[in-house]
Amino acid sequence: MYALVDAVSYYASAEKVFDPSIRNKPVVVLTNNDGCICAVCPIARRLGVPKFKPYFQIKHFLAKHQVVIRSSNYELYADLSDKMMSVIARFCDNQYVYSIDESFLQFKNYNSLIKDWHQYGDEIRRTVWQETRLPVGVGFGTTPTLAKAANHAAKKLPGFNGVAVINDDKSRKEILSRMSVTDVWGIGSRLGKRLNVLGINTAWELASRSPKTMRQQFSVMVERTINELNGVACLTWDDVRQPKKEIYSTRSFGQRVTEFHSLKTALITHGAIVGRKVRQQHSLVKRLLIFAASSPHDDNYYKKSVVYDFPVATDNTINIALAITQVFNQIYMPNVHFYRCGVGAIELTSSEFTQHDMFSISGNNPELMNCYDGINNRYGNDTVKLAAEGRAEKWHMRREFLSPSFTSKWRDIPKIIC
Amino acid sequence: MKIIPIYIEAGISGFESPAAEYKELGLSLDQLLISNPDATFIGLAKGQSMIEAGIFDGDLLLVDRAEAPQDGDVIVANYNGCFTCKFIDKTNARLLSASKLHRPVQINPDDDFQIEGVVTRSIRLHRQVRELASCML
Repeated sequence: MYALVDAVSYYASAEKVFDPSIRNKPVVVLTNNDGCICAVCPIARRLGVPKFKPYFQIKHFLAKHQVVIRSSNYELYADLSDKMMSVIARFCDNQYVYSIDESFLQFKNYNSLIKDWHQYGDEIRRTVWQETRLPVGVGFGTTPTLAKAANHAAKKLPGFNGVAVINDDKSRKEILSRMSVTDVWGIGSRLGKRLNVLGINTAWELASRSPKTMRQQFSVMVERTINELNGVACLTWDDVRQPKKEIYSTRSFGQRVTEFHSLKTALITHGAIVGRKVRQQHSLVKRLLIFAASSPHDDNYYKKSVVYDFPVATDNTINIALAITQVFNQIYMPNVHFYRCGVGAIELTSSEFTQHDMFSISGNNPELMNCYDGINNRYGNDTVKLAAEGRAEKWHMRREFLSPSFTSKWRDIPKIIC
Repeated sequence: MKIIPIYIEAGISGFESPAAEYKELGLSLDQLLISNPDATFIGLAKGQSMIEAGIFDGDLLLVDRAEAPQDGDVIVANYNGCFTCKFIDKTNARLLSASKLHRPVQINPDDDFQIEGVVTRSIRLHRQVRELASCML
């Protein structure tokens, strides 16, 4: 048996933990730079606040309904996530933390110990709430995909109160036939549309198809999903997190940037972030995209992006910075008020299986990069960085509605009235 | 600017300390004072109403959410949107202060009230701590 435990609108719920004055109020959380809404608490959802809408478009609606607005407080979310995960870990000996607010549990040889999975799910929910004040949903299933489906049912379908179990054909059919096919894990909206053409609208209709035929028409991924929906476990924890195919670091500026060096240091900082992430998943960058733009709402919208191909794929931050420096003159334009810029590794290869080039010498320096990452992992990001990244903090995130770091900064600890 | 607290090693090796084998991990206040680290948070006491229970303005409070509150415990509650530290009187649904200047607070059904956790320890800072200076204002 597998379980997926995740928090209900995590960022918004985390904001309520140490601020009891907003517990019963509608709360939304904005993304980086306060751009879009990325989390909507259940109270705000009932008011009809949509997710992923740009903040400025919905500002008046939020003000009218007295919705509490918060910027993303990653320090707080990371700390509360650690606590939540370690409470959840007490319920199973095999936990896989899938994202900041989701974790899988795999129960092997628990069947004689746990008589009633519903009750066990309730106990997980109650304990996490009691100890962290975070609401979670729990879905049990005989495969990871079914656990994910049960979790969806637990939170979204009427009749379930935060816990759902798929452990026989009856419960499987009941839940899958009430789910749209795009609610199935791994089925995105584009794939969903193609499946709709074949008359597959619900998760149950997908589960009823022949995995072999669907593999020919779609992909191995779809075949696996169908098998998983039929109770055949195909995913393992390692498969669950595949290396990313593209890695981007991009952001809009807190204040517009016009100056040559400011834009360059911002781009190189993005390059360094990309380099770090590339090394984390043991990839090498083959092709890099570098871009900068003014705001599309400006009169003379300016956008320029350049693709740089590395002769030999690299994970060396210095090489990435040099590449950016090399193409920078093609991107920069005087008198443009830059609003956004970024760097993306758009073609990656595995660092384990690299074909070496006979003529080009690899500029990689694993020893240096290991040391660099080692220092930064131990003492915090940016302890060592390239001089070209500069010390300018101007382009850092805009977080106008930031809550205090209640659990990670002494000056921000909660006040308790005596 | 971040400073890494390691000293340069000159590569000279002296004699091993005869006590090396007896070395244990240093005493940790966290380990002593916090039984449920995942369920515990640290807050700052503000106000005079718990003075006779030994909790003064500016004390640190360790609040444990995993601990079951017993009648008469010092607790932190969400009382109408504020974290409040009082004695809990479950029998009469009241919050009691530890000061003659403060009267018991009756919890009414229309109050927003939940117990947040039990105050398991309070810490008095006899000298000012720099990190907390801005909280003390």
